[in-house]
Amino acid sequence: MDFAYTAEQEKLREEVRGFIKQNVTPELLHETDAEASTTPDRPRGMSPKAAALYKKIYDRGWLGITYPKKYGGQGGDRLTQYIVEEEFTRAGINISLGGSGAPAIMAAGTEEQKLHYIPGLIKREITFALGFTEPHAGADLANLRCSAVKDGDDYVINGQKMYTSAAHFATHIYLMARTDRNAPKHEGISIFLFPMDTPGITVRPLWTIQNNPTAPVGTTYGNGRTNETFFDGVRIHKSCLLGEENKGWRVGSMGLNLDRVGASRYLISVRRDEDIVNFVKSNTFDGFEPGKSPAIRDKIAEMWIEAQVCRLMTMRSMSIVERGGKFTYEGSAEKVWAPEHGVRVTESITQMLGPYATLLRTSKHALMDGVFGHNVMGSFQSGINHGSVQVMRDQVAKRGLELPSSRRSKTGEAK
Amino acid sequence: MDILLNDDENLIVDSAREFLTNECPTKLVRAMEVDAVGYSKELWAKVAELGWQGMCMPEKVGGSNMSLVFLGLVMREVGRAIAPIPLHSTAVATLAVARDGTEQQQEKYLPDVVAGKSVWTWAFTEKDPRFLPDAVQMSAKADGDNFVLDGTKLFVDNFPAADYCLVVARTTAGSKGEKGLSLFIVDAKSAGISHTVLITLAKDKQSEVVFKGVKVPKANVIGAVGGGWPIVERMLDRGTALLCAQMVGAARKDIEMAIEYAKFRTAFGQPIGAFQSVQHNCADMQMWVDGGEMLTFEALWKIDQGLPAKMEVSQAKSFCNEKCEAAVRQSQSIHGGIGFMMEFDLQLWFRRVSAWTMRMGTAYEHRARIAHLLIDYPGEVTLGRPLPAAATA
Repeated sequence: MDFAYTAEQEKLREEVRGFIKQNVTPELLHETDAEASTTPDRPRGMSPKAAALYKKIYDRGWLGITYPKKYGGQGGDRLTQYIVEEEFTRAGINISLGGSGAPAIMAAGTEEQKLHYIPGLIKREITFALGFTEPHAGADLANLRCSAVKDGDDYVINGQKMYTSAAHFATHIYLMARTDRNAPKHEGISIFLFPMDTPGITVRPLWTIQNNPTAPVGTTYGNGRTNETFFDGVRIHKSCLLGEENKGWRVGSMGLNLDRVGASRYLISVRRDEDIVNFVKSNTFDGFEPGKSPAIRDKIAEMWIEAQVCRLMTMRSMSIVERGGKFTYEGSAEKVWAPEHGVRVTESITQMLGPYATLLRTSKHALMDGVFGHNVMGSFQSGINHGSVQVMRDQVAKRGLELPSSRRSKTGEAK
Repeated sequence: MDILLNDDENLIVDSAREFLTNECPTKLVRAMEVDAVGYSKELWAKVAELGWQGMCMPEKVGGSNMSLVFLGLVMREVGRAIAPIPLHSTAVATLAVARDGTEQQQEKYLPDVVAGKSVWTWAFTEKDPRFLPDAVQMSAKADGDNFVLDGTKLFVDNFPAADYCLVVARTTAGSKGEKGLSLFIVDAKSAGISHTVLITLAKDKQSEVVFKGVKVPKANVIGAVGGGWPIVERMLDRGTALLCAQMVGAARKDIEMAIEYAKFRTAFGQPIGAFQSVQHNCADMQMWVDGGEMLTFEALWKIDQGLPAKMEVSQAKSFCNEKCEAAVRQSQSIHGGIGFMMEFDLQLWFRRVSAWTMRMGTAYEHRARIAHLLIDYPGEVTLGRPLPAAATA
């Protein structure tokens, strides 16, 4: 049992912090926060300033740390990745490849696909919009209807995807589609990778409750925009298939588990804990000193402890991965605790600050750029996106505790 | 960083679990609930052979000088087996002797402790149940080579079994707060001591102990006269973290029983564990106990490293108090009526875990300490990094 980092690892942490201090400004952060971008017609790929920043980070060897050198990575270990990621996430910059499609490509891609996509994903020259959810397939993703029909050397795609958040600026799409209508629902699915400028794709914005005013950097799920994406006779070559045809369900889940390991999941849920402590230390409202209220102090301490549990759950997952072990339920447990904690701390803060917590960014009298108000609209999203907390609890119960499946859900069992 | 157990740690856990599975059936636990002294002398002697009493004692007194994390793992197993042995009270008191006592005190008392020949306890609480220096009123007046102790202590653990008791008292008349407190090694059979065993939820031995003109040699003071608070605070922190270890061990076993029960108990044509509401309850119980366990062992590890650990100890106790209670209560709920029948074993764990959540500091007390460390010192806080308070605390 060892809860400390080595001197070398601490030194690395200091280096990353120094780099961030020198190179990252709030203005730049707004630009790199591409997901939150509300510009409907921005060019695909990164803005020039963001590209310059990522180039600098790449040159320091801090992108794709755990990926093999052959594919443009650093051939480093996960703990190094974790430390670097923790610092960048805290600063509001995403350097991880979680949710990028890279883990699944590494697990199931052909050599050619790996050589084509991985270096680009690492350098952020390639970005994927994720095409999973559909109007009738959310938590029960295997119900998806978007179809890919073989036609000679091509597939022809028709259908609709929801919440394709990056679709308005990503260079490519990672699409899950049905290739066999007659197979059981988990067995007729395939994954395709192709450019977003392929003819027949239409992207329409879906504005979230975080839009107008847009959320400050550091908000938990501050995205003002996501999209719905339509595929109308989109013709792609068969080489766009990732893994085997009809094996897409397995390919998709290969990437998922490792995707969930990392610093960002817990960090996005605990930043308000730090904010509120630092806020009450130095702020008063005329005669009201929130930092002296016994009720507020008790709640702040309670939330801080929960935040520590989120941190420790992440450390546990890291320890398991470092030893080359496999999760049964630990990753899912993180994905229950951190999002739900994020909601609890966010809602607690609203009851400490009262009407001030209603104020959004750009409002007169807004505290800390309105982050507390925006977090009310964002923190609960963390319990919905990338596997809801309900589904995660199912996984803890079934995989971790080996509780039996319900006799009613034989066909629609949670994965 | 690797917060999982290493091979040595796993070895200790496995051997302790195997030993207690064989030596500590619930029949023994039940027998000790109605026993006047409340512990198994036979089991106490056997655990001494395994070296548990001497685990963190220095080698010069026969101990094995291991870290608190190891003792914590053993306490976790003792909690898992709800073993009726006075290991916690003995460890709390004797670790204070080992860490802050004089050479003479260590040589005089600790070899017997390591050999399993003596049982120790400690007495802090009086009428005011809080673990704050102000709660101590008991007076100790200097009289020649002795101090004379007068006052009443409450909730003294295992007193009927104890040979020695560490007692916190005020050596400066009229003093308040941290100043003027001293810690004494008191022979539990001294003239002037009487006690009454209280009737508790856990059916364990918690006593009111009355001191009337009890003479204690000056040589029995641990640390400086009037300067006992830092020693007492460290003693309480170690004890609190070890109690958490015991609590998570017991809570873990308790929820395992509920999870197993849910797998075979059928209702409405299927195992109740197939119902999603039961599954989600079980998932929560697992995560609560996991959380308490990680907080606890981080606290013990920090104490071992000589790092500031007040924050971590209070985090662990506050969390365990609320979440272990919730876990064992939910476990009762999953069992239905059978869970609270005396003849069914589950209640043995439920009553103990519940009682332990109420000892050594409530959630509110511990959170007040956390809030103080977080808020009352200047400088920004960042989760997972040393607090600005650490520089001054």
